[in-house]
Amino acid sequence: MKKRGISIAATVICLLLGMIICFPLLLIPGGSVTGTAELRRALAPVLQHSEGYADWQFLPLYPVLDHFRRLLSSPEFFRLFWNSVLMTGMVLAGQLLVGTPSAWSFASFCFRGRRLLFGIYIVLLLLPFQVMLLPQYLVLKQTGLYGRPAAIVLPMIFSTFPVFVMYQAFSQIDGDILDSARLDGAGEWNIFAKIGLPLGRMGIQSAVVLSFLECWNLVEQPMAFLEEQRYWPLALYLPQIGIGQAGYAFAVSIPVLIPAFFVYALGQDALIEGISVMAEKR
Amino acid sequence: MNRNAGRIGLKRKKMKRRKNRIWYAAGFLLPGLAGVSLFYLLPFAEVVRRSFLQSASGRFVGVENYRQVFANQAFWRAVKNTAVFVGAGVPVLLLLSLAAALLLRKAVGSRKLLSALLVPMAVPAAVMVLLLQLLTDRSGLWNGLWKLQIDYMNTVWAVVIVLLAFWWKNTGYMAVLWLTGLASVPRELEEAAAVDGAGKWARLVCITLPQLSGSFFTILMLSILQSFKSYREIWMAAGNYPQENIYLLQHLLQNWYLKMEFDRMAALTVLLALLLLVFCFLLQRRLERE
Repeated sequence: MKKRGISIAATVICLLLGMIICFPLLLIPGGSVTGTAELRRALAPVLQHSEGYADWQFLPLYPVLDHFRRLLSSPEFFRLFWNSVLMTGMVLAGQLLVGTPSAWSFASFCFRGRRLLFGIYIVLLLLPFQVMLLPQYLVLKQTGLYGRPAAIVLPMIFSTFPVFVMYQAFSQIDGDILDSARLDGAGEWNIFAKIGLPLGRMGIQSAVVLSFLECWNLVEQPMAFLEEQRYWPLALYLPQIGIGQAGYAFAVSIPVLIPAFFVYALGQDALIEGISVMAEKR
Repeated sequence: MNRNAGRIGLKRKKMKRRKNRIWYAAGFLLPGLAGVSLFYLLPFAEVVRRSFLQSASGRFVGVENYRQVFANQAFWRAVKNTAVFVGAGVPVLLLLSLAAALLLRKAVGSRKLLSALLVPMAVPAAVMVLLLQLLTDRSGLWNGLWKLQIDYMNTVWAVVIVLLAFWWKNTGYMAVLWLTGLASVPRELEEAAAVDGAGKWARLVCITLPQLSGSFFTILMLSILQSFKSYREIWMAAGNYPQENIYLLQHLLQNWYLKMEFDRMAALTVLLALLLLVFCFLLQRRLERE
């Protein structure tokens, strides 16, 4: 009886916490269909520093689709959107191609300097982008990549964070399975492709989800290395709109949000499992 | 006896193959390592070299660049602010997420609740900043609720706002990590303690928490990583020169970059990387002692 009481209390507290956390997001859908005039009236205090306070209606009095019409009729939006999609897609593909074998190498082989090298990888993943800003600027200038989308994509492909996540998953695989496969004459490539990849699936998926959320959200990198606006991703465009056009900004945030939520919803189990593996004791 | 003989045979075979396997290990690792070297390690070495030079003339100036960093006022302010942000943000985040994880473990339908806590991970920084502005503006929703007129982002309150946003975003993420740690605590240990008459808190402090130390260091590392990442939101909300209490080391680096002050920037880059290196080293040492 007492146990049940505790579990109900815990559920209620968690539910409240979840509601508090999710609450701000409820402002977005309403905002995106509120007409400019109505929004201006509601937000006037914020915008013009006049008397009174912003007064938010979760649902507008007169829902309009103006902002979406404006969004869909602007070629700029579509270009930015595709920039984001392409950049993210290329980074993810590259990370899978390069990062997965790296993680496998760290997890299932013993070679001299492995620990040192992995230590370096961990330090690299901890470094904030601003610490790598100057080094990357130098190399991008040197290689002539500066100012092109590749200046964002290539360094991201070799990011060590996905290697770390996938390593955690691969190192959970029982070494005896691999050894017996070796004894049976399986080649190293086959072991990687037929045992490693399927067993480390969750870790790989969660690395993909985490990388997606990161790439979809890139701000500092394009800001620092892309001067031309035509290469910018969507995430960088949104803050330029400013609160003065709040309705439009809310409308733009929907295509920014949807792919992120979509991937999050699809990859949720993998994400939770994959994150979990990182905390697993070895 | 027989089994042992088999094992020894296995070992010998393993030894034979080991030489061969080095090449495989290299084959798997090298494509990635080449890129990491090109885009991270080599340019970083170049920055280390440059930190001792004057870039205009290419002359060796010893520790002059470092001296300039230490003589810079903005540097010390940024150090202080970053220390406060990480020092307050990370421990509270760890406690908050641990509490959430302990509650979730007891809750009904914890998977669904967990998803709700993880939602902020999927919210892009730009959207988050938009909401933040709407809530914290001088005439924003929060002030409206209490009939106040505080311009939060331009007072010391900015630190609190930024910390709240950090906790909002990361509590779920870290709770998932704690939950895993909790799942690996053997139930029998807790039950045995309960039979011996240990109270709820005693069990938590003496049995459950010590068992979590293995996960603790990963969680700490990821929390610190996330605390560095929240620069993005701070920058988007407040620009290159925010309120003076949220001016972080990242702002300083970014602004020196924009002003092309590469000499000082090189020195600061090296210093920060060194700091993180030492931190990782100590963490590793601790982990091994466990």
